Amino acid sequence: MWFPARLAALTTLAVAATQAMPVFAQEPEERKIGIDRRDGRLFVSLGLQDLLRAQDAQRLLSGFTSRVLVRVAVVRPDSPEPVAQTIRHTEIVYDLWDEKFRVRRFEAGGKVETREASTASEAIDLATALVAFPVVSLDRLEPGVAYRLNVRADLNPISQELLADVRRWLARPSARGRMGSGDSFFGSFVSIFVNPRIDESERQLRLVSQSWVEPTR
Amino acid sequence: MCFPSLLALLVLLPSLAQAKLPADKIEPPAAWSDGFGLRYTIERIEVRGNRKTRTDLILREVALSPGDTVTADDTRVERARLRLLALGYFLDARLSMIKGERRGGAVLIIEVEERGTIILNAIHLGTSQATTLWGGLDVSERNLLGRGLSLGAGFVSSTRPKVDGAEPALAFSLRMAGPPRLHGLLLSGSALFSRGSEFFRVRGPAAEPDPAEFVAVNVRRAGGVVGVGTVLSRTAYLWGEGRFETVRAELPTLRVRDLGQGESQPIAFLVRQGSSRLGSIALTLDLDSRSDPVLPRAGRHLVVSVEAATPACASQYTFVKATAQGSLYFPLPVGHVIGVHGLLGGLVGDAPYFDRFFVGDLNLLLPPRAFGINFSTQPSRNFLGTGVADHRYDKLAGRLLAEYAVPLWRRHGLFYRGDAFAALGVFALSNPDDLRRGGASLGQRLPADLTADLGLRLDTYIGIFTLSVANALGRLPL
Repeated sequence: MWFPARLAALTTLAVAATQAMPVFAQEPEERKIGIDRRDGRLFVSLGLQDLLRAQDAQRLLSGFTSRVLVRVAVVRPDSPEPVAQTIRHTEIVYDLWDEKFRVRRFEAGGKVETREASTASEAIDLATALVAFPVVSLDRLEPGVAYRLNVRADLNPISQELLADVRRWLARPSARGRMGSGDSFFGSFVSIFVNPRIDESERQLRLVSQSWVEPTR
Repeated sequence: MCFPSLLALLVLLPSLAQAKLPADKIEPPAAWSDGFGLRYTIERIEVRGNRKTRTDLILREVALSPGDTVTADDTRVERARLRLLALGYFLDARLSMIKGERRGGAVLIIEVEERGTIILNAIHLGTSQATTLWGGLDVSERNLLGRGLSLGAGFVSSTRPKVDGAEPALAFSLRMAGPPRLHGLLLSGSALFSRGSEFFRVRGPAAEPDPAEFVAVNVRRAGGVVGVGTVLSRTAYLWGEGRFETVRAELPTLRVRDLGQGESQPIAFLVRQGSSRLGSIALTLDLDSRSDPVLPRAGRHLVVSVEAATPACASQYTFVKATAQGSLYFPLPVGHVIGVHGLLGGLVGDAPYFDRFFVGDLNLLLPPRAFGINFSTQPSRNFLGTGVADHRYDKLAGRLLAEYAVPLWRRHGLFYRGDAFAALGVFALSNPDDLRRGGASLGQRLPADLTADLGLRLDTYIGIFTLSVANALGRLPL
């Protein structure tokens, strides 16, 4: 009896250790941001251009809308709850006949800004560079307390409703929906395998900023 | 028995769990804009990259035609892309447009990158006190000849069981299904052959798995199933099936169980001696609102099926079997999930043993059947001290299982996603006669036992795998 037990323990440890490595590697990257305080608000500047890769520039020419959604949370390192949060989403469309990019940015508070870009890299910059981006009113930050930003950026996020639909398409029930594999004399008919491209978005960046201590005002 | 492994996994769980960042909790916008009002008329459609998959199959899923007008923000386009990916034939699918011949016109380009579509459904491998070794595979090709047809085949084979009169098991199954469609009917068909033995106790205490205390019934089954399914709504599916098979059973000469102290009782072999026929029709309703079919985080899943075998289906066995299985998933704030799974089943009539509720299908700690063949004489472990050890095939079954799942990782090469899970439940297996038995204790009338599992559920490029303690226990003679 002792041998299978030890073998099982070692196997479990080996599997867990193998899988633990990529998990730790998945910790959000720390990235330096620029901070500015004016008009009673905190502004940050941050580049997220690496959300799009070289081949994405070509895909922006598809004629269909590409989207970038950036979510920003201000957090205290000692608390999991954000002090403030905001989003910006950007839509990029290439006009096939006018041969130029149209970019529209939506920010929290209803601010909408429409721009045109002549190249893909210009359009990408408009979508992924946060320049003097307002994140929180200074009234909500306590002087002397350390804060940091928590940022998530998604390329072409998919709505939860559509994602749920897709998962259900994958889950078309097997022809014999009875009691588990043991009863499957006729076998499981519809194998499911999930395409990793079907996710909340096509690509995701998750990062944290350096922490800063809010000065006394 | 495997406490070191349980402990190791429990200790590692907290460190493996992926932290959910505050930014992940920010809700995305409820709706997007109108795509600047850009509209194009599709002049023609080009499909690229499909070396195997037929173009008409791809166009059917995309559901756009020349002459249609699309906007830059058209939701049909994203849905079409995801539908192509959901087929499972492609690693990637992209839709784009280039200028057409007339202003406002466009050529729609669909680019796909094909993938391997051979899927490993099951690996049957195990050893028990009664059967030294059994093994087999079940694989499917999901895109046969590029037409979206599914063709699946499986087999299992075993050494000769150490039960008096038993023969080595051998089973084949061949399955085929039409291309998946979002609307309309899905047709399927299966053919099967199996040869194997089922074991019946002739002496000794119920908890003793010694193969020398069993006799074997040798059974050959050959037949098939045809089915038709349809989508009723976004969350409801309905399936109808017709089944017919011939059964040939050789009963042992010893047909009485020695109960000790000079007492004996005839053994109910639950299958007809010689040749017999089994025909049935079945209806299955599937209501599925889970967030994910493999690793759900929320939602419900209910499957209700009724199968009736009658002389009208040329059956010599007459029975009605009803099964209801339900699952509820509750997401927890930390990203963990609690799942509650219930099963209720009842059977009326003279169903053969292989259509009855089997203890190995209810108890995760016992060896599972493969293609309907049981390889073990192991009874349920009887943690609750009831009469469950004496129940293997029965007419009434119920199980309630609670599961705690912890998401571990996502998007890592071959192992795309993984959950660690721990499950604990109770099941009962009985029949109307035992339930009505006067003077017997509750544990004798309603034999129940605990079942449990602990392990990893992996969503990979070639299928869904579960690495669990119960899986290991079920495959080893412990």
